[in-house]
Amino acid sequence: MNVRTQDTLINIMLYGVMAAVLLFFYIPIFTLMAFSLQEGRYLTLPFDGISLKWYGELLNSGPALTALRNSTLIAAFATVIATAVGTTAAIVSVRYRFRGKAAFQALTGAPLAFPQLLLGIVLLLWFSVLGRLFGFNTGLVTAIIGHIVYITPFVMVIVAVQVHNFDPQLEDAARDCGASTWEVYRHVTVPLLWPGIFSAAIFAFLLSWGNFYITYSLAGSTRTVPTFIFSGIAVGSSPLYPAIATVVFIPGLILVALAARMRRARA
Amino acid sequence: MEQGVGKSWRDPELLWKALPSVLLQTTCFVAPLVMTFLLTFQRTRDFQLRWTWDLATWTDVFSKPHYWTILGHTLVMALACVAICLVLAFPIAYGLATRFKTLENEIKILVTFAFITDATLKTFGWVLFLDKKGAANYLLTGLGFPPEMVSFLFTDWATLLGMVYNLLPFAIFTLYLSIDSIDRNLIFAAYDAGASKWRAHWEVTLPLCKPGIFAGSVLIFLLGVGVFLEPKVLGGGTSPMSAELIRQTFETRVNWPLGAALTFVLMVVSVFLVLLFSRVLGMRRSGFGA
Repeated sequence: MNVRTQDTLINIMLYGVMAAVLLFFYIPIFTLMAFSLQEGRYLTLPFDGISLKWYGELLNSGPALTALRNSTLIAAFATVIATAVGTTAAIVSVRYRFRGKAAFQALTGAPLAFPQLLLGIVLLLWFSVLGRLFGFNTGLVTAIIGHIVYITPFVMVIVAVQVHNFDPQLEDAARDCGASTWEVYRHVTVPLLWPGIFSAAIFAFLLSWGNFYITYSLAGSTRTVPTFIFSGIAVGSSPLYPAIATVVFIPGLILVALAARMRRARA
Repeated sequence: MEQGVGKSWRDPELLWKALPSVLLQTTCFVAPLVMTFLLTFQRTRDFQLRWTWDLATWTDVFSKPHYWTILGHTLVMALACVAICLVLAFPIAYGLATRFKTLENEIKILVTFAFITDATLKTFGWVLFLDKKGAANYLLTGLGFPPEMVSFLFTDWATLLGMVYNLLPFAIFTLYLSIDSIDRNLIFAAYDAGASKWRAHWEVTLPLCKPGIFAGSVLIFLLGVGVFLEPKVLGGGTSPMSAELIRQTFETRVNWPLGAALTFVLMVVSVFLVLLFSRVLGMRRSGFGA
């Protein structure tokens, strides 16, 4: 077998596996989209008819809209705080050399490899004990804190890649030209890191928006989209749930594409 | 990869930047963990926590084989998931890093999107697809196959499918990063020395991405032992895994000390296994930073 045919064979095999895995990834997503068009009340095949009825139903469903609003609220707060904290942590762990650096990296990266359900439970215990001492219940705020703990390490890793490619001499040059520490940040560091920070923020928003485990443990009686859907699976559902899913997919895909463009722009 | 400016902790610049994340992870990660550990020495009576400081909970944990059977089952499932994920992720990561030049960005977007969408939704999608009256059987019967060919929903196989589905992107990302960072000249050097494609692959590429393979496996294993959605929704709750047991202990039995102890057993056993593997593979030095 000559080199060229060998090469073609490898390519065919790799593209084949890729196509199979992409199909695998999108089977449940397409299934949900299809079921959202079912006209009848039940999630069974064949469909009674094709209609957008359940999307209309969604707009009139109080609990579903509340869940959407809660998800957005939690994700917005968690994104802003996690992005800020994660970015500074990334700068520290790439740019500086100091005593205890390994410990710092282990501490700030640890939640990344910690099962989410257990993180949720451990935090639930913590907030329950604190709540009993200081008189508060779990709810929106504790859910936001939980999301921040879980998401900050992801932000740190994404921004760290950007910091790694960043030439620190640019900052020195600005300083030599008489810029103050703040001005260096405002005009050099942040603009250069921006593509990384921006895609990290989108990533953070989506991770928080779609989070099930931590919200499930920490949001108390507050429902977000994932926990709302989970309760729907248990009860026996209508095409309302696939309709919510489809509504949730579209902005997600747009944001992912946007983040990818930002990252390519920097390269 | 040691780079950067030397700083002392007394330097306000370092302090200001490091403090937020250190504070966050100590108050909302380390402190809760320590408290969970302390809770294992308490007891519960009439659904109320009693601060007794004894070993009653631990005696209970070590005397009931039931907990350990579930733990064993969880570990087997997580390891199976790691193996399947690695086999599937390697060709994709390799293709992305070396061959899919024209479609690279589109593929990355599609994989990222599939990864980042809500796991509850996707798991629910699988139920609709795999159900006896679901989309898969409908399509297959339509194509002339016998009815109800796909009937493994609510078994361990469905759970495993869900786990692989939800964790595979982690393997793809970690492997991609490590293959992407391999110096291509090393592979060309192997060709020049007369190595065949396969030989170069086995003796150059694979050993060089060993840190990536290890990091991906550890990540998937640790996340895999903690899954709860898949066994509950796809497995139908018929053969519970540790996370479900822990959740039940907290929620249904309201036994915090026992739940805390089971959480710790799961964590300690998984971390121990990870360390054991890293010893066997000789990965002690590189670890996660790879």
